[in-house]
Amino acid sequence: MNLNPFSTLARLVDETPRRALVLLIGLVAILAVAPAVLDRYLLSVFFLIFWFATVGQAWNIMMGFCGQLSLGHALYVGLGGYVGAILWVKFGISPAIAILPAMAVAVVFGMAIGWLGFRFGIEGVYFALLTIAFAEVARIGFDNWSFVGGAAGFFMPVTAGGGSAWNLRGGPLLFYYVALAMMALAFIICALLRRSKLGLSWLAVREDAEAARALGINVFRAKMAAVVISAAMTAVAGVCYAFYQNNLFPSQTFDMARSIEVILAPIIGGLGTLFGPILGAFILTPLGQTLIALVEKIAGRSIPGVNLVFYGAALMAIMWFSPNGVWPWLKKKLGIPEERQ
Amino acid sequence: MSSKLTFTRRTVLAGAGAVLAAPAVVKAQAQTLKIGVLLPRSGFFAQAGQSMHRGALAAPAVLADLGYKVELVHIDTESNADVARTQAERAINDGCHVLTGAFDSGHTLAIAQVTEQRQVPFVINIAAAPQITEQGYKYLVRNFQTGGQLVTNGLRLIKDVMDAKNVKLETAVFLHANDTFGTAQRGAMDAIYPRVNLPIKLVESIAYDPRAQDLAVEVTRIRSINPDLIMCVTRASDAIKLVRDMVRQRFEPKAIISPGSPGFYDEEFYQALGPLSDFVLFGLPWVNPKSAMSQAFEKSFAKASPNNRFAVDSFNAGFTFEALLIAADAFKRAGTTEGAKLMEAVRATNLAEHVMIGGPIQFDAKGQNPNIGSALVQNQKRVPTVVLPKDVALAEPVLPMPSWQGRS
Repeated sequence: MNLNPFSTLARLVDETPRRALVLLIGLVAILAVAPAVLDRYLLSVFFLIFWFATVGQAWNIMMGFCGQLSLGHALYVGLGGYVGAILWVKFGISPAIAILPAMAVAVVFGMAIGWLGFRFGIEGVYFALLTIAFAEVARIGFDNWSFVGGAAGFFMPVTAGGGSAWNLRGGPLLFYYVALAMMALAFIICALLRRSKLGLSWLAVREDAEAARALGINVFRAKMAAVVISAAMTAVAGVCYAFYQNNLFPSQTFDMARSIEVILAPIIGGLGTLFGPILGAFILTPLGQTLIALVEKIAGRSIPGVNLVFYGAALMAIMWFSPNGVWPWLKKKLGIPEERQ
Repeated sequence: MSSKLTFTRRTVLAGAGAVLAAPAVVKAQAQTLKIGVLLPRSGFFAQAGQSMHRGALAAPAVLADLGYKVELVHIDTESNADVARTQAERAINDGCHVLTGAFDSGHTLAIAQVTEQRQVPFVINIAAAPQITEQGYKYLVRNFQTGGQLVTNGLRLIKDVMDAKNVKLETAVFLHANDTFGTAQRGAMDAIYPRVNLPIKLVESIAYDPRAQDLAVEVTRIRSINPDLIMCVTRASDAIKLVRDMVRQRFEPKAIISPGSPGFYDEEFYQALGPLSDFVLFGLPWVNPKSAMSQAFEKSFAKASPNNRFAVDSFNAGFTFEALLIAADAFKRAGTTEGAKLMEAVRATNLAEHVMIGGPIQFDAKGQNPNIGSALVQNQKRVPTVVLPKDVALAEPVLPMPSWQGRS
């Protein structure tokens, strides 16, 4: 197996069906020029789409590729966000540089979770509980850590450094492109990883860990690699989100609800697929926003909760009609063959 | 005089310019101020959000009587910062000239990003994080106390009630939830308590899990300490558990006082405990029951929300009304909806007549209203009743607290 990313990428492009390639290039081109016609509201909606697609892609590595259920990915979002924000506010370090220590901190925590889980045979729902426990411990820890504002939150000054891409200071247009780049990069990384020896090991571990071990795959190492890469990618998205919102509160950043939001897009889009997390994010975020506007339009006023009821019903309908996710269903309809291993 | 029109390049350009500028001119000359009211009416903060919403529903009639013309756009933030931010963008797209909200500090700051970039005034009705007005926002004002002010003013009122009733409280235990709000209040308490010189020895601080089924263990611990006063930071559900376990264990301190937190005045608290909800005290900013504007607002509230009690909603509803009043008054003075000029007028606010207790509504250089007062409120016959300061009180405080037994 060739590990050179460029040749792997070239082979990937070569092997991808022309129809899928044209679709992909068309989508990227549209998204690149879309801000010319999008207003600020839509730019902020697209930011959320790209962001959820990125973290969904990162989570998909763990669950979709390697079969390890994490319900505490908010941990890495929060750690990345806090490290990026602290380095910027306290030491003036640009988030472009801060993503490295942010990833490093998330990796350390990911390794701790992985080591505890995989070394001691904590699997399935028990491993999921372990990930939740770490996120909760982080929330309580940050709630009581006065250096970062504790429960009262950590804030970034509005005017610090002025507006620039280097410092992630700017409006929705800047964050649109940053998040778009993040999503594209996450996709490429996942595509390369999936074709690598490591990616194949993940799939083997996901299908049958014992059989994979019998084939000589180092299962522990493969699982650890999935946790570490997933944590690092999520931490980068966490840095971006912290600078977008300009403040961090432990109760929101490390919240279980955030972890659930992260996993929805890949589940709806198609677990273990490359396009699933992106498609899922493109369905779920606009669906939520559209339902808010639709209820207002029909009722003539906002009726709290009604849109959320329809949102839940829509999720159930999607899962009913395409239980493996929307992308596998769509792929079949479009006549795109299965992704090659 | 010839009426013949000649189309030169200059006249065409002037005409085109006028057409392009027309929306701005129309906007600047709008007769009605369109205000986006962003509140968490569903999700985790729904109870407070709906209470604030009832204030917003009652406000337009009172404002119209005062000569202000406002149109409100009610928006649910779903207790979610992402939704708060996208809906703020949408509200401005839809023509809102001012935004108000948003209860939770995180949601408030998500909206502040938008209003700052779009140069639209943002009048905060409720949000306590001190840093909100410390970050340099130019298009934001806050008509609410910071977390530190809530605690400081709440503690001072404990001294006032001791003096007023000539009751000595010698020892106290501080009980707080271990959630974000409770932990933040504990931090404020640790910093502020030594500075306010209360003649009460704070024996211990106890944190509890608000999701616990009961507070029996915590109450047992407090009972063993036997303090005169229990100071607590609660929300309605844990306030109910606290009182129930105290009644079960027949523990009767001289006073239960909450310096700057909700929980004791929610309808849920009264419904669950009946007479046992009486005589607890809380120090908070509150509606001035003797102000003419408050009385008018109360009448409008009764009409708009006949199934809800104004006395119970007055904290949330009162601050929401005031945020709308500030925006409407600024619009009247500025005579324009243009963001920069409207914001200038908002910052120059000087409203002596309003509904909450305290001095005139004014804003300092950072956009904070420093004149908001606090009242000591006591549940009497299941009604939150202002008992201090004397000039706005409707009843005498009852201290020490009567026994749990024999109440009706």
